[in-house]
Amino acid sequence: MSEMLQYDFMRVALVMAVLIGLTAPAVGTFMVQRRLSLLGDGIGHIALTGIGLGLLTGASPVLGALAVSVLGAVAIELLRARSRSGGDVALALLFYGGLAGGVILTNANGGGSATLQSYLFGSISSVTAADLYVVAGLAAAVLAIIALFGRELFLLCQDEEVARAAGLPVRFLSVLIAATAAVTVVISMRAIGLLLVSALMIVPVAAAQQLARGFWGTMAAAMGIGVLSAVSGLAGSFEYDLPPGPSIVLLALAAFAAAVAGGSVVRRRRARAGAAGDAVPAGTGAEARVDAEAEVLGG
Amino acid sequence: MNRPASDTREEDAPEQAPPPFAMAGGTVRRDGREILAGVDLRVAAGEVLAILGPNGAGKSTLVKALLGLVPLSAGRTLIYGEPPARFRGWHRIGYVPQRLPLGGGVPATVREVVASGRVARRSRWLPALGAGRAADRAAVDRALRTVGLAERARDSAHLLSGGQQQRVLIARALAGEPDVLVLDEPTAGVDARNQAALAAALHDLAGAGRTVVLVAHELGPVEPLVTRTIELGHGRVVREAARETLGRTA
Repeated sequence: MSEMLQYDFMRVALVMAVLIGLTAPAVGTFMVQRRLSLLGDGIGHIALTGIGLGLLTGASPVLGALAVSVLGAVAIELLRARSRSGGDVALALLFYGGLAGGVILTNANGGGSATLQSYLFGSISSVTAADLYVVAGLAAAVLAIIALFGRELFLLCQDEEVARAAGLPVRFLSVLIAATAAVTVVISMRAIGLLLVSALMIVPVAAAQQLARGFWGTMAAAMGIGVLSAVSGLAGSFEYDLPPGPSIVLLALAAFAAAVAGGSVVRRRRARAGAAGDAVPAGTGAEARVDAEAEVLGG
Repeated sequence: MNRPASDTREEDAPEQAPPPFAMAGGTVRRDGREILAGVDLRVAAGEVLAILGPNGAGKSTLVKALLGLVPLSAGRTLIYGEPPARFRGWHRIGYVPQRLPLGGGVPATVREVVASGRVARRSRWLPALGAGRAADRAAVDRALRTVGLAERARDSAHLLSGGQQQRVLIARALAGEPDVLVLDEPTAGVDARNQAALAAALHDLAGAGRTVVLVAHELGPVEPLVTRTIELGHGRVVREAARETLGRTA
């Protein structure tokens, strides 16, 4: 650890890992609740075109990725709102267009496969202090949005119609969360890479919801797991000369596996406590059926 | 009560407060089919209106249209005298949707779900401090007690039974302390014990003079509270009846 901290780029990278570990799962909690787990993946594809454009025009690839992925996220949200079935295909077109366009643009710039690889799978050694300032600013913005709009976003993600009947600006909030997801993708892409970026938005949340009872508890636990896997994944990649993104994601998956094991113990204990206090135990077969029906109706 | 059936133009009668809902010729078309076919409906303050009818009669569409959640292709509807798009007093409305959207996704405690019903009461920009926060907490506690789930506040909502989840959704609407409560099939798939708890909660509300609009397949234990029923068939009002009630005496 101390050897690692002697390198400037590792100090920068570690701070970045903490920021990524905090923001990605925080935004991811809303995405999982909205059943948009793969949205981050799609935004990552689109962001590659932004990187290509940034390289080609000589502007910063990060700013290119930011502009294009926010625009892409807003487009996705508008397509989604317009039609359920047509929206699905439109999303696929956007994703593949973004990925193909990004590869072509990066190549046209003479970037070659090394540059491409560093954006697709993350590369810590190329991170500069200037990058860190951009990332820190964006991370602060993302966390501020969640603090400011968290309650509204929670209701929106629970039930869009109820949110509308509560007078919330549903379209604005939907676009806001999509744009926030896009910013998070850009924050995380240097360290984790565009192809794995959404894993850190989703996997810590999947792990946390095995253990927590509530929404904000899930978010807090997911942020903890996110920071832990980002920092230790980074340290591990330095120590053993592994690519950082996949190391971070594999650690998050390990946390998920541990949470599944731990969660079943916690739930069994809770169910026993619940059965003692209530004539109707939680999680009986009949209730599972009611839930399944509800999902059919809701879908 | 003085209410001329054709009068939905509250602008012309400023001395009389506009009713919670007034729909004239409400028509909803989807895929070329008329789901609502010219519904005239006026819901006066303090009424407990039950909307009855078979599956596919347009009951859910009617309440969604009343709330502006489904756009009208003809006719118009007003909420407290305003078209839904211009209506700003959403804190006066509590909507309990039909489905149970609590399963799956990220867990949320009963209290978190219920507290989200306060959102229309709160300023979007200022976090609640001091008195506002205390008022939020008190309203959430009251709503939980009304539906009899105070002891389950810290449990995950998606682990409750279907009937209990329905009560959570009702508590969410109650937490906003609305003047009007709109419930879509609150008794569907709910066991007798939960139906009784639900009826008791609605009894309190009706007794407090709130307006209730509820969609139901059959009335069951809420029957004594209902002041008026309308029956839908193929998107039209086919029957309407005022009722003697016991609920008003509370």
